[in-house]
Amino acid sequence: MEEILRERIMKMKDMVFENLMASFLPFPMDTKLFSSWTSSLSKNKKTVIYTSYMYQISGILKKYEKLFPKIYRINMPKKLMGLSKYIIRPGDSELKRSFYIINNITNLLKKSNIDFGYLYENEPYSGAILLESGFLYEFKKYGEKLMNFFHENGIEELITIDPHTTNALKRLQELINFDIKVVNYIELVDFKGSGEFVIHDSCLYSRAMNMYTTVRKKINESGIKLDENYLVTSKEMGICCGGPLSLISDKDSEDISKMRAESLLSVNDNVLIMCPLCYENLSQHISNIKDLAEVIS
Amino acid sequence: MDYEWNVSLNKAILNNAPKVDKILRENPYINDIAKDLRERKLEVLDNIDTYIKKTGESVEKNGGNFHIARNSAEAMDIVRNIIGNRTKIVLSKSNVLYEIKLREELSKEGKDIWETDLGEYLVQINNDMPAHLVAPAIHLSKKRISEILNENLDNTINENTSTEEMVKRVREFLINKYLSAEVGITGANAISADTGSVLLIENEGNIRMDTVLPSIHIAITGIDKIVPTLKDAFNEVIVQAANAGFYPPTYVNLTSGPSATGDIELQKVTPATGPKEFHVILIDNGRKEAMNSDLKESLLCIRCGRCYFSCPAYRLYGKEFGTSPYTGPTGIMWSAIVYKQYNKSELCMHSGGCGEVCPMQIPIPKIIEKIKFKYTG
Repeated sequence: MEEILRERIMKMKDMVFENLMASFLPFPMDTKLFSSWTSSLSKNKKTVIYTSYMYQISGILKKYEKLFPKIYRINMPKKLMGLSKYIIRPGDSELKRSFYIINNITNLLKKSNIDFGYLYENEPYSGAILLESGFLYEFKKYGEKLMNFFHENGIEELITIDPHTTNALKRLQELINFDIKVVNYIELVDFKGSGEFVIHDSCLYSRAMNMYTTVRKKINESGIKLDENYLVTSKEMGICCGGPLSLISDKDSEDISKMRAESLLSVNDNVLIMCPLCYENLSQHISNIKDLAEVIS
Repeated sequence: MDYEWNVSLNKAILNNAPKVDKILRENPYINDIAKDLRERKLEVLDNIDTYIKKTGESVEKNGGNFHIARNSAEAMDIVRNIIGNRTKIVLSKSNVLYEIKLREELSKEGKDIWETDLGEYLVQINNDMPAHLVAPAIHLSKKRISEILNENLDNTINENTSTEEMVKRVREFLINKYLSAEVGITGANAISADTGSVLLIENEGNIRMDTVLPSIHIAITGIDKIVPTLKDAFNEVIVQAANAGFYPPTYVNLTSGPSATGDIELQKVTPATGPKEFHVILIDNGRKEAMNSDLKESLLCIRCGRCYFSCPAYRLYGKEFGTSPYTGPTGIMWSAIVYKQYNKSELCMHSGGCGEVCPMQIPIPKIIEKIKFKYTG
């Protein structure tokens, strides 16, 4: 087991919190590029689709996680860090895939007659990383700033599309009376699909937000067949993809991803996920892996 | 990842998790009992001083001796005072005994002291620490166990020796220890405030020996193990056994004082065949402080160990996830309560299975989130 470096964790906390309070982003990123998946949605709606850039940046998060120990060691100057947004970019196919997913969700929402807009490059990040690292004070502080931002922009309802953002906002509702309505797209849309998969639940959807049954009901009704196995896919025994551990140890995170991938593949070769970070962690070990939003219409 | 650990753990999960699921599906009343037990235990946590006093009065009314220890050092002083010059001691599996380092301390002082649970015995002769609350030797493969027994018990044991034969050899060794023991020291699964009864659950039969054969029985446990009534204590052992995957349990031992008889003109005389002295030592060691903090619900844990197998961090790190004996998801909470150790919480991935399987509905992921905050806040 790698040593748990408290100082490194604290440095990460300071760095991320400082960035968030200054720019609504955890690290420098090209928000113009990441919001260019659409140009047809209105900027002036009380209800907006809220990506929190999760699908767009999931491919580069790993690169940042690998970079962080170096930043920590050499104490990289802020200006140089700012340039990283031009250096650390997702590959074309990664970006294309994420845009396809978000557009598909957008189309499903439209088909369900939901009226919504988008904040484009002004969209802030949710602060999920603070919550998931146990930085509760900073998470609440940033949450207040985030709530004010939405108030100032006349936003009353957020349609989330990934588990980390949904969970972060629901926790803000519990912790600071965050008064913006939060609803996840899976709860809003009906869809059709096909194929046979083993499902890798998002821990946050399934257990933290108690959506295990809702998600299964929707998927089973869509025409997709799910292979279930108590030890692998039950609410009690299904486990994490290993992603959150990479902030402490990249190798240990990899070990969990590999272990999880092997158990999923023992049930079915086709794996269905619902989280951009699960995809990043598991796709290294699973060739037939799809996000729910890639296989439904 | 350690290959031997991975193989041993996967076998354990395969043998245990579906079995627990089946027990709970076939006996739905167990979850109803668990819900009621949670409320009863919360009632104790909210009125701990009243319940400690009531428990003490009940133990003494039965002819037992009641002691309260604020910390490990006080608990050990009480133990030393009770055992005096006696040297032969047998122990039953107990995390609290590890918590106060009882075996380690008394061994150093020259006592002939033996763990009698098979798993704990293996951990003892291997100079190891338990890897699981209920199954302490879960990290040892059969091959490794044969090596340990070969080196420490009987050099005719080898990897081809059957499991049954290994168990038999250990039983033969331990039977002499039981018969010569002067003091039996146990933990407690529950202690009832209304009757002062200690309940201990087991399958091997060793606790029955530990609590009856020596002339002194000392039960050492945390103040969190108090429940209001004897009925609640029975409920706790039922819920614990089912969620540990052993249902029905082979033995439930109840002790409410030293041995006694009323067979001659119904006059109560003590001792009879069993121990002449019965002592209960209740230990605080950070528990009261936790009752008044956001760790409070951690104290509802009944040590079934079910959360371990739902946890990816435990699957990866084994007994390194926590501070032994308090490992696994519940161990992260208990390491914080007892040892004020918060760092291992950083290894938690908020997978959430621990909270799903906990029969006491302890919101383990949210408590660990708060422990992370204690570490970095």
